[in-house]
Amino acid sequence: MKRGPLGWLVLALAVLALVFLVLAPMWLVGTSSFKLPREIINRVPTWFPHSFTLQHYQKLLQTSAFPTYFLNSVLVAASSAFVTVILALMAGYAFFRLEFRGRDMLYRLIMVAYAFPSIVILIPIYLMFAKVGLIDTDLALVLVNVTFALPFSIWMMRTFFASLPRELEEAAAIDGAGRWKTVVHVLIPLLRPGIAAIAIFAFVASWTEYLFASVLIISDAKRTLPVGLSGIIGQYQIDWGLLLAGASLSVLPVVVFFAFVGRWFVAGLTEGAVK
Amino acid sequence: MASKPTSSGRGSDGRVAFLLLALPLGLLAATLIVPMISAINISLRDIRVIGSDGPFAGLDNYARVLTDGTFWHALGISVVWVVGNAVVQTILALTAALVLNEKFPGVRVARVWIILTWIIPTVVVVIIWRWLLSPSGGMVNPLLIQLGIIDRPMGFFASGPAAMTSLILINSWRWFPFVAIMLLAGLQRIPGDIYEAAAVDGAGAVARFRAITWPLLQPTLLVLTVMGTLLSFNVFDIIWLLTAGGPAGGTETLPVLIYETAFKAYRMGDAAAMSVVASVLMIGLALVLLDRLAPKETGR
Repeated sequence: MKRGPLGWLVLALAVLALVFLVLAPMWLVGTSSFKLPREIINRVPTWFPHSFTLQHYQKLLQTSAFPTYFLNSVLVAASSAFVTVILALMAGYAFFRLEFRGRDMLYRLIMVAYAFPSIVILIPIYLMFAKVGLIDTDLALVLVNVTFALPFSIWMMRTFFASLPRELEEAAAIDGAGRWKTVVHVLIPLLRPGIAAIAIFAFVASWTEYLFASVLIISDAKRTLPVGLSGIIGQYQIDWGLLLAGASLSVLPVVVFFAFVGRWFVAGLTEGAVK
Repeated sequence: MASKPTSSGRGSDGRVAFLLLALPLGLLAATLIVPMISAINISLRDIRVIGSDGPFAGLDNYARVLTDGTFWHALGISVVWVVGNAVVQTILALTAALVLNEKFPGVRVARVWIILTWIIPTVVVVIIWRWLLSPSGGMVNPLLIQLGIIDRPMGFFASGPAAMTSLILINSWRWFPFVAIMLLAGLQRIPGDIYEAAAVDGAGAVARFRAITWPLLQPTLLVLTVMGTLLSFNVFDIIWLLTAGGPAGGTETLPVLIYETAFKAYRMGDAAAMSVVASVLMIGLALVLLDRLAPKETGR
């Protein structure tokens, strides 16, 4: 549709407002993590740094437990993403490629799982894990993260399975390839966008998870970033420089990951929503 | 449905499906369904020591919790929280979705990266806004003064209502792009030629929005309202880390109260009872919303 000059103006202003709303806070935090402490807490804040220092990063990496938290989070988030992808692929193939009795009912049941407040299962999970000795282990966090990511991942998988014509697999079958050969050589390579979408979703969800990590992990050496960072907030006489540096470094991995596969994630989100 | 090749005929489908679903469904059963049943069991017991089962207490926990004012107070706060988030997020997300549905240079990049606020960890959201809203070095107070909205620095977490408003805005900042992407999907499903026809008939932008966009977006909005209600009801970390339910209980939603009851006061039975009541309310609400607002089940 044609857009007049007024239309362009309104659109441009709206886009600018949107960009400002999303990016201005990130810009301020990112740039301020390089400012000297007195500039950070200056009564008149600056949009552009007037000073430059690496002291906050130095302190963060050398004297705080941040590197430990960071590595723990990478380990937990990567394992959670890996397991979620495998399980979502298995479930996806069963739900969207096979015919069996009770399929629709099972699928709905999984989706209903989201109606329950996660706080409901926090207490039982804590007591259950205490009994079987899973408290204070990475495995506990991976199990919980996969549980929360899996239903949504299966839901997203539907779009990606639906986008692949069954004829491809049928053609492979006619050529004499068995079921598993078809899956491994035809289906999985074509599902790569879906796998990327699920991987980033599960990774981000685990990277952010605070509630269960705060309860299931006890020793400081096993803390993940969200709980560790929140400890740093309270631990010191608020050291904003340190916190801003920590915040910036915590965002970095997900942003890098997202830069590579973000578009597949958004595609999974949007196309899944309309079907 | 097209006929399938014989090598993967219906007969073997059931067995293969069972093999494939055993692990994913087994995990979900162990970590979702068993705990949910277990929550009911815990809510009927008087647990004093972690790891012990505790004596059966019947409905004592429920009676105590439901006659105590704090539960109802927290429920009220939760309602304010959920409604506030729904309103703010819908307005922001709809605006963003309408913008992203237009064609302009850079729109493809914008459609992906708008979700940036959603992929960063909550604890980082907390650090960002605590600093931006703080009286020492925060940018928001000076900016609002410059724009003439306030005339002297305000305390964003000083009173219950102020803290609640700040929390709702911060949580909406985090979630609106996610909702916007979902709404964008709904917008893109509306065929462009309807708009063309309306424009030819002389309908302005506002008239087109009211006659076409708004009604056709209803199914998407319904799903998002139900999903959003459940999701925001569940939000715990952002509230806990910013206000811990304060000041004076002004932001103590049900999840915060349940967490405190279970892991600060160690009253597991009471906390489980509250969580069971909360689940029943949430599921009931979701069913009512779907039933009342849904035009027709569209199937999958």
